[in-house]
Amino acid sequence: MLQEGAGRKKITYFDNACQTLRPKQVLDAINQYYLKSSACSGRSMHQLAAEVTRECDQARVLVAKFLNAAKKEEVVFTRNTTEGINLVANSIGLQKDDVVLISDKEHNSNLIPWQMMARKHGILVKIVPSRPDNTFDLDAFEKLLDPKVRLVSFGWSSNLDGVTIPVAEIIKKAHQNGSLVLLDAAQSAPHHKANVKALDVDFMAFSGHKMLGPSGMGVLYAKYQLLEKMDPFLVGGDTVASSTYETCEFLPPPEKFEAGLQDYAGIMGLGAAAKYLMDVGFDAIEKQELLLNEAITAEIKDIPRLKLLGPADPRLRGGVVAFTLEGVDSHRIALMLDQMAAIMVRSGQHCVHSWFNAHQIKGSVRASLYFYNTMEEASLFTSSLKKIGKVL
Amino acid sequence: MFCIVSFVVLGILGIFSASNRQLAKESLDCVLRRVTLRPCNTGFDEKMKAKILGFVIVRSEGGARLLNRIFEPLSWIFFVLLMASSIWSVRGLYLFYTSGSCNGLNSTAFCVFDPKGQNNQTSGLLQTCKVTPTTQADLTLKGVDLSGFPVLNPTAPDKIVFIGCYHCDYTRATYPLVRQLVERYQVSFTFQNYPIVHEPTDYMTRLSLCAYQQDQTKYWKMNDTFFSTAKANLDDAAWMQTTLTGLGFNTSQLNSCVAAPATETTAKQQMLEMVKTKFFGTPTVFVNGVATVGPKPYRVYAILLRGLFYWLR
Repeated sequence: MLQEGAGRKKITYFDNACQTLRPKQVLDAINQYYLKSSACSGRSMHQLAAEVTRECDQARVLVAKFLNAAKKEEVVFTRNTTEGINLVANSIGLQKDDVVLISDKEHNSNLIPWQMMARKHGILVKIVPSRPDNTFDLDAFEKLLDPKVRLVSFGWSSNLDGVTIPVAEIIKKAHQNGSLVLLDAAQSAPHHKANVKALDVDFMAFSGHKMLGPSGMGVLYAKYQLLEKMDPFLVGGDTVASSTYETCEFLPPPEKFEAGLQDYAGIMGLGAAAKYLMDVGFDAIEKQELLLNEAITAEIKDIPRLKLLGPADPRLRGGVVAFTLEGVDSHRIALMLDQMAAIMVRSGQHCVHSWFNAHQIKGSVRASLYFYNTMEEASLFTSSLKKIGKVL
Repeated sequence: MFCIVSFVVLGILGIFSASNRQLAKESLDCVLRRVTLRPCNTGFDEKMKAKILGFVIVRSEGGARLLNRIFEPLSWIFFVLLMASSIWSVRGLYLFYTSGSCNGLNSTAFCVFDPKGQNNQTSGLLQTCKVTPTTQADLTLKGVDLSGFPVLNPTAPDKIVFIGCYHCDYTRATYPLVRQLVERYQVSFTFQNYPIVHEPTDYMTRLSLCAYQQDQTKYWKMNDTFFSTAKANLDDAAWMQTTLTGLGFNTSQLNSCVAAPATETTAKQQMLEMVKTKFFGTPTVFVNGVATVGPKPYRVYAILLRGLFYWLR
């Protein structure tokens, strides 16, 4: 896809926060299912079924290793981060007046489920405000912690500005308060090493499509003892060991949370993506992203009317360069970049409408980088943006 | 205004391309909002402006800067031009429908719907005929004495006067249409052959005069036959005699009449009367006094006779 051809000029793909491109290894893993072992896992007894069961189990092991989970059964396959968060919201038994803390710049995936829980079950959703530079405000967080806080649910890295929150401190303080912690790791899992055991995090949800994996495939990590206590969210086929006309006997986790026939190809693809990232190594990934972000930030920070979202220091923004150009619609900039040099960035409110509405900002342009992006691409982006800055 | 211009342009391009069709739909949405006095908040204008600027900026930064600055006024200019050209196009279409030419009756200026000008082709009078070139405005029946010319349904209120030439291809194409119209609406129809193409038509003029004098009913049958037969037959003396006999004419009387000097004199007088109309080519057809030059479509004559909605009557 990154090469010129098929009626398209060479692209510069800077929309990785939305979805990354996939390496051949991932595509091969997906293809392998459809070409060699397209059958049901865990249900049938024939050799194809056994092969699929083995491959899916191997993928779960790889993902568990990717997370440094205590055991593979702590990995629940979902469709995406949103489903993982919804699963937690609907399964941990939140009661009226329970408090859930979220930050002021959560993706809709980590906002709307709690709004729905508030509407249906009377929970209270409290917002932890960020500092003026959009970094996490630990003091504000601590002030809101009280015994009624049942769960804190934060985006680990923001898709808005790339800011990563201090999860270790947050988890520690939340646990001291007796609260559970859910991390929306959609934007962090592809970029930072997630050591769930060391972090002692309770839940972590992320998506495959942002970390080289297939779309429609995600993961909810949860401590096993929590999974055992939780009621399943979606129920039906594959979630029970047996049933009568009156009742049923649920399978142990993770199966009781994986209702219906699973996306076996997606699971295998996700396993391959996890392996690929582990092979590349997060040190190398973070280093390349920082290199690119520093180069871009240095070049564009002086463009008149351009305002970076989040802290000025690129080291605090991971692979994200988000900005507004005063008086210019963000979509116009994105379209012009595409038209000028096939540079693909995201524009608009990035599913964080709440933050934009609160700050009365119509939208921003977001260039989100990944380790396969190059300095040449960064240079093309900055030179194109400078031209736009002069013209508009 | 940009969305309105875009809608028209993309609507046309959309016939050939699916991506433009989608853009045309978006522009239509924007247009509908504008015409219902709602803001166009679909982002279409922004999207198109960005695409255009993106295209221009890689070629000329200065050009893109200028375009960005004057984009709205430029949109208005294009809008006005679009409206003007639309009105002009509708006018052209209307004129083509009613007169067979985008530029008005008998105009020979270029018309996209009739690029070869077929609706205005004539066999023109030569300078030797001493007819000075004239224009549409000069063509008239005023002062022309039509008595003695072959006429059908003489008392009918609507009148068609047809100046044609038996050997003229354009006349031959027009005559059946006019005859059809005469039959349908029972209008008064005067026909005069004006020998314009080559020598033998002089003979045809005298023959026409004599035939009408001998038997009016048979004359119209003869006329219809001459215009429906192959043109070569008109120069074939044997075919002519056989045909006239077949139509029931007294051929010896006819031949005598044709050869008589008095006939030639009368024919010349009639042609001089025709020249008074200032016609400059055949066919020239006057429908209730309005002249049409060249082979017009049937509808043009019908509209002149019965109005724009002739087909409703």
